[in-house]
Amino acid sequence: MIWLALTLLAPLGAGLAALAVRRAPQAFALVGAALGLVGALGLFAGAAAGTEISVSLPFLPSFPVLLMADRLTATLALLVAAVAAAVLTYAIGYMARDPGRARFFGTLLMFVAAMELLVLSGDWITLLAAWEMIGFASYLLIGFWHQRPGVAGAATRAFLYTRSADLGLYLAAFVLIGTAGTSRIAPTLATTGTPALIAGLLLLVAAMGKSAQVPLQDWLMRAMAGPTPVSALLHSATLVAAGAILLIRAAPMLPAGALLMVGIVGGITTVVAGMIALAERDLKRLLAASTASQYGLMLVAVGAGAPVVALLHLIAHAAIKSSLFLGAGIFQHDRDGTGLEALAGAGRARPGIFAGFAVAALALAGLPPMAAYFSKDAILAAALASPAAPWLLPMALGGSVLSGAYMGRALQILWSGTRSETRAPVPFMAAGMGALVVLAVTLGAGFGPLEAMLGAGADAKPWIVPAMGLGVGLGGLLLGWSIAPARLLGPLLAPARNGFAVLGGMDGLVVRPALALAALCERFEQGLFAAVLAIGRAGLAAGSGVRRTDRETIDGMIFGLVEYTIDLGGRVRRLQSGFIHRDLALTAAGIALLIGVLLAAPFYP
Amino acid sequence: MGRDLSFLLPEIVVAVTAMLMIVAEMGRAARLVLAIGLAGLAVATLLTLPVLHAGTTVFSGTYRIDTISGWAKLILLPGTAAALLMARAEIAGRAREGSLYALVVLVTLGALMLSGAGDVMVVVLGVVLTGLGSFALVAFLRDDAGTEAAMKYLVFGAVTGAVMIYGLSFWFGGSGSTLLSDLGRLRGQPLVLVTGLAGLIVGLGYKAAFVPFHFWAPDAYQGAPVSIAAYLSVITKTAAFFALAQALRDLPREAGWPFALAVISAATMTWGYLAALVQTNLVRLLAYSSVAQSGYLLMGVVALGASPAAVPGIVVFAAAYVAMNLGAFAVVMVVGRELRDLDGLGRTHPVLAIALVVFLLSLTGIPPLFGFVGKLYLFTAAINAGFLWLAVIGILNSVLSLAVYLRLVVPMGREPAGALAAMSAPFLLRGVIAAALMATLGLGILAALLPG
Repeated sequence: MIWLALTLLAPLGAGLAALAVRRAPQAFALVGAALGLVGALGLFAGAAAGTEISVSLPFLPSFPVLLMADRLTATLALLVAAVAAAVLTYAIGYMARDPGRARFFGTLLMFVAAMELLVLSGDWITLLAAWEMIGFASYLLIGFWHQRPGVAGAATRAFLYTRSADLGLYLAAFVLIGTAGTSRIAPTLATTGTPALIAGLLLLVAAMGKSAQVPLQDWLMRAMAGPTPVSALLHSATLVAAGAILLIRAAPMLPAGALLMVGIVGGITTVVAGMIALAERDLKRLLAASTASQYGLMLVAVGAGAPVVALLHLIAHAAIKSSLFLGAGIFQHDRDGTGLEALAGAGRARPGIFAGFAVAALALAGLPPMAAYFSKDAILAAALASPAAPWLLPMALGGSVLSGAYMGRALQILWSGTRSETRAPVPFMAAGMGALVVLAVTLGAGFGPLEAMLGAGADAKPWIVPAMGLGVGLGGLLLGWSIAPARLLGPLLAPARNGFAVLGGMDGLVVRPALALAALCERFEQGLFAAVLAIGRAGLAAGSGVRRTDRETIDGMIFGLVEYTIDLGGRVRRLQSGFIHRDLALTAAGIALLIGVLLAAPFYP
Repeated sequence: MGRDLSFLLPEIVVAVTAMLMIVAEMGRAARLVLAIGLAGLAVATLLTLPVLHAGTTVFSGTYRIDTISGWAKLILLPGTAAALLMARAEIAGRAREGSLYALVVLVTLGALMLSGAGDVMVVVLGVVLTGLGSFALVAFLRDDAGTEAAMKYLVFGAVTGAVMIYGLSFWFGGSGSTLLSDLGRLRGQPLVLVTGLAGLIVGLGYKAAFVPFHFWAPDAYQGAPVSIAAYLSVITKTAAFFALAQALRDLPREAGWPFALAVISAATMTWGYLAALVQTNLVRLLAYSSVAQSGYLLMGVVALGASPAAVPGIVVFAAAYVAMNLGAFAVVMVVGRELRDLDGLGRTHPVLAIALVVFLLSLTGIPPLFGFVGKLYLFTAAINAGFLWLAVIGILNSVLSLAVYLRLVVPMGREPAGALAAMSAPFLLRGVIAAALMATLGLGILAALLPG
């Protein structure tokens, strides 16, 4: 209980305090992150020892707020807290000179608190609330430098994309609550049959939005407009991870059809996003595309029926990707940009940081004995063992080759040129990054026990799997290091540079049709208006005819009254310009329709 | 008789308050009128608390003291007080200022009658009482736009009111009683039932601004003082829903009204948000958004008698809607009537901007804000009642609504226009915005206190 409170409330309290006090936000950030980490460690230790904590708070009658730390959620909470602590340490150095520090650290801490709430939530409504909160907090963080051109637009786009896909989560939650009669997640996962299939596919839609799966991948690249620590946190253990976490948690419920869809979406994404990463000309955007690609691999694992393996890769990727981003941020500081051309040779100026970056890059490519080697092999093994192996295995292998290729290319560019400059040391940034690199290297050793704890037995993998894993990793690295992407991708280079904007991307699929429909409604009202206006004119002509007759026949005593009425009528006519006729005509049509629908009631099924 | 009157104390207090206000207005003491009004509303709110769970009827069943009418008072009376404060901020010092306050309280009395109606005649009385006062309120500014708006409102009211009374007379003919609780007798007389029902839906649908009876709303709101637009968009509208709920609770569901209302609900929310998407005038935009919100409230009415979440849904969402819509209108009163007036608000007035964002997100229905709690009940009720397709349309429209509301949020981050920096919110409006904000944020979290 105390650990749970500490995990959630320490970042939240520190964030609010940083915003309220506005002084020394770094200190609040460190304290909040450290206490949160302590709380998450306590939760994890408790869960590992077999004590599940669950707290129910009163909220709506029959829908209490439920917080739950079982083995899975405690692991995730620890991951979030650990990455957050490292990133916040780094951010102290990165944001040292920014005037908006208090706002930055305050929002970032609240974001961490919301993410902890998301992973620890035990009912759908709390999950929905936390889901929205991380969406909104990430909007604020991506738009942190909102005065710079294009940043506000990128933040809005990220928010809208993920929000549209959130629709799936809302619908899925309502379907599950409606079917199971409770909002607690655990009982709803026992849903079977058609509702499970529908809910599973809807959850997949939500996860595709948050985890940037094809065709909703575009926002992730644009979200690079935010500060680098934000990207590091968003991409590793939080916002983007939320989609995969959702599917990992819901995996027990997913029927075979939904699992196949999950696997195929993940497989397509891992290949497509991998090609986008290879074609990128900007280091941060390259890393962003690689994030989408790696989450695609996790979805492949979920689709292959091995959610624990997906979790392992999520953990490995969290440590690796945050180290890569933090390294990229240091190079960005040195060269005032993240374009790959501007960064050429940046690694030589900082051999220490480059070494860390390179280790993380090799880890991402899946070289032993780093963390992703084990998780990627496990994914390949799961894909091989799954009934959909002919689909999943080639895509997983393709994604792995591409991981090696784009990381090899990035390393080659960072190391090119000659050593020309030396830079002042960056202690905070290096400390944060160093901690994550160490994690990236050593985490793999803990995967075996973790897998056992989560109840997925480590089966003996066929010898072909590590061979394939090593082969694709090394092969990819060599290809990327030595061959230019234009030759690797051939005719696919141009679409990859465009981010494979399928059918104009989200803009074309959702935004434009909605606006067109709105314009159509407007035009419909206008057309109707013109038609009714003509009728109105005819009526007015008849009216004026009557008026003339009246003037000639009605005696002088009531003449004044009539004159006044006519004058008023004229005024109203000028003001109304026929509108009210049209509206009343529509109203009458509505009444007729209403009566028709009501009368047809006995014939409804 | 004495027992009956004791249950009616809140209504009596409101009626007496309105009379006292008219008397005070004769002395041209506008501030006194306002003070009497606020005090009367506060007393009436407090007097509601003891009878909140009475669950009875008075005057031989013609007036109901039940969950709906009790919570309606707790929602409408404070909402009216907030609207009075907003009106004071807008029209202080004008001629006939006090008359407007008195009219507002009279209209609220009509709204209370609608919410407690147990008899078709009380429904008619409520419609007339709210209508007559509202026409005068809309025309208060006496300019062309106001006159046009009031004229349109009046013509619409006259037509729909006539249709309603005509239809309701069929019910009387068919059941031999004007009591709503006797409507069950209409079983087996489908034509009579349908005619009356259509009349009722038209009459109350006009008040509540359903599609296609909503055409007056944007013009009336635009022509009226903004505070009156805010008042009409929440008080008379929610009262119409309460009346609809009172009437339909006693009507057999097999009469087909759930499906007809579900169609209207879907059309209302979709049309409202689509039309709001192309508005550039903030008042018109909020007017269409209010139309769309009617569609959501209607989801609760559709589920009446089929889901235990229906009545709590209507009550909770009505409360949330009153708070967030009044808050949004109050911000518009501070800032200006055009969309471009919002440029740079986030830079110059961050607190005001945050308040507006909270109101808009709550209108969208984002957890954990109050609006989400209401929508949760409404969606649950609709799904329980077998209207999954309606819930799907509702959720789809939530996304559309986000596009509508983000049109307000996005310009707040731009470079501020010149006049904005010097602008400051009047004290009264700040109070209203703070109260609405507390309700929107706080009641979302303390939702356990609500009925259900």
